[in-house]
This record gives sequence, C-alpha cells and structure tokens, in this order.
Amino acid sequence: MKNFWYLFAAYTFIWTAVFAYIYTIAQRQQALEQDIKALQQAMERRIGKGD
Amino acid sequence: MNKLGDSWLLSLIGLTGLAVIVSLYLVFVYVPTELIMGIVQRIFYFHVPSAWVGFLAFLVAFVAGIAYLMQREPRWDMVEVSSIEIGVLFSTIALVTGSIWARPIWNTWWTWDPRLTTTLVMWLYYVASLMLRRVVDSEDRRARFGAILSIVGFVNVPVVFLAIRLWRTIHPVMFSSEGFEMAPGMLLTLGSSLVTFTLLYLCLLVIRVRIEYLSSELSRLRQLSIPARS
Repeated sequence: MKNFWYLFAAYTFIWTAVFAYIYTIAQRQQALEQDIKALQQAMERRIGKGD
Repeated sequence: MNKLGDSWLLSLIGLTGLAVIVSLYLVFVYVPTELIMGIVQRIFYFHVPSAWVGFLAFLVAFVAGIAYLMQREPRWDMVEVSSIEIGVLFSTIALVTGSIWARPIWNTWWTWDPRLTTTLVMWLYYVASLMLRRVVDSEDRRARFGAILSIVGFVNVPVVFLAIRLWRTIHPVMFSSEGFEMAPGMLLTLGSSLVTFTLLYLCLLVIRVRIEYLSSELSRLRQLSIPARS
C-alpha cells in the first residue's frame, strides 16, 4: 500500500471540491428563489393596494 | 422551470449517481493495480476525466460565445458563463490531482513541463475572465465581453491538448495514432469515468444555467417594481 496517502488525498480533494461547488450553487439558488418570492409578494401587495 | 424539466433533471442526477457508484467500483475494486506506479496510478481514472470535462466546458463556452454574438440571446450568455465556471472547477481538480500524482512519481509537486504550464495558463485565463466579467455593469456589454473572452480563451485549449505531442515533455501520452496504450480493464475503467464526469458536467451545467435564469428573472422583477415604488 505504498503511496496510499497520495491516492487518498487526490480522491478526497476531488469529492470535496465537487460537493463544495454543489453546496455553493444550491445556496445561491435558494437565496435567489427567496428573493424572487419576496419581490413577487411585495409587488402583489402594491397591486392589491392600487399603488 | 416546468415539471417536465424537473423530472428530466432528476433522471439525469439519478443516472449520474449510478455512474459515480459504478466508476468508484471499477477504480477501487475491478481494475488491476499498475505494476510500476502501484496504487497511486488510480488517480489517473479521475484525473484524465477532470481534464476532459475542463476542455469540454471551455468548448461549450466557446460555442455559446459565438452563438451569443450571432443571435444576442441572453440564454447563450448564461450557458457560456456557467460552463466556464464548471470548467474552472474541473481544471482545478485536474491540476491538483496531477500535482498529487506527480509527487511520488516525478519526485516533485510541480515542474514547468509544457503540458502543466499550458494548463496553468489556461486555468489562470478563465479565472481572470470570470473576474473581469463582473467589472462590466451593463448586462449586454458584460455578455458581449464574456463572449469575446470565451472565444479568445479557447485558442489555448488545443495548445494544452497538443502540448505533449508538440514539445518534449515528461507527461505521459495516453493515446497515439496506434490507439490507447493500456490494458482492456484499464480502458473500460477510464471509459466509465469519462462518461461519469461528462454526466456530472451536464448536471452541474443545467443547475448552474437555472441559477443564471433565476438571477435574470430577479433583475427583471426588480426593474418592474421600480415604477410601483416611485
């Protein structure tokens, strides 16, 4: 099992990088969906008031 | 996004998950250990597909850049920026895993070999292009600027690919005019990993383009809400 730690480090890096990216884009998507929802609700309220 | 799009994306994610499991099985259980390098050679099965996805992503960005300049459709800009971002991720993986592999085999983390150097130049260019895009305020100008950057940047991609054939290098040549120089089991494992990483790229691209779409929707809604505020 010579050089096992190099193999371990490489695969750990690959999956950490991929999952970190997936986590980042999931957070971005969630934040955008919340912003859109809040803006839609605010606009609906304004339309309801007749502004 | 509609329900048909959602079910299509979920199917793609499921297929990618399955492909990842199969590839991991092939890499760690099925494929025989290489005689000279030992188990560290198994880095190869995910290092090469990472580099491949980097090339593919920059090719897609190049095509999307041309399509944007021809049609001026914002969706092409969304594809272009998303693909570059994913390309940078996978090029980073290729560079880092290559460096980790080089340490026990070449006895160094890094050497200014033509393949490594051109890959680093390519990576730096695309990282810089993502940063430079953000400097431009106007959406249309940003998209045009991004399209030009993606087209110009792609010039380096064939150079990276051909570097090991054009110049003297210590980086191994994986395939030549005589075909792939490896055992059938290794070739199968590499093929499986290439398919897996391509599927992973497609998943990430679809999700990332969705984010760009949501972001443009938000800008549109904000612009619509301005008259209501004033």
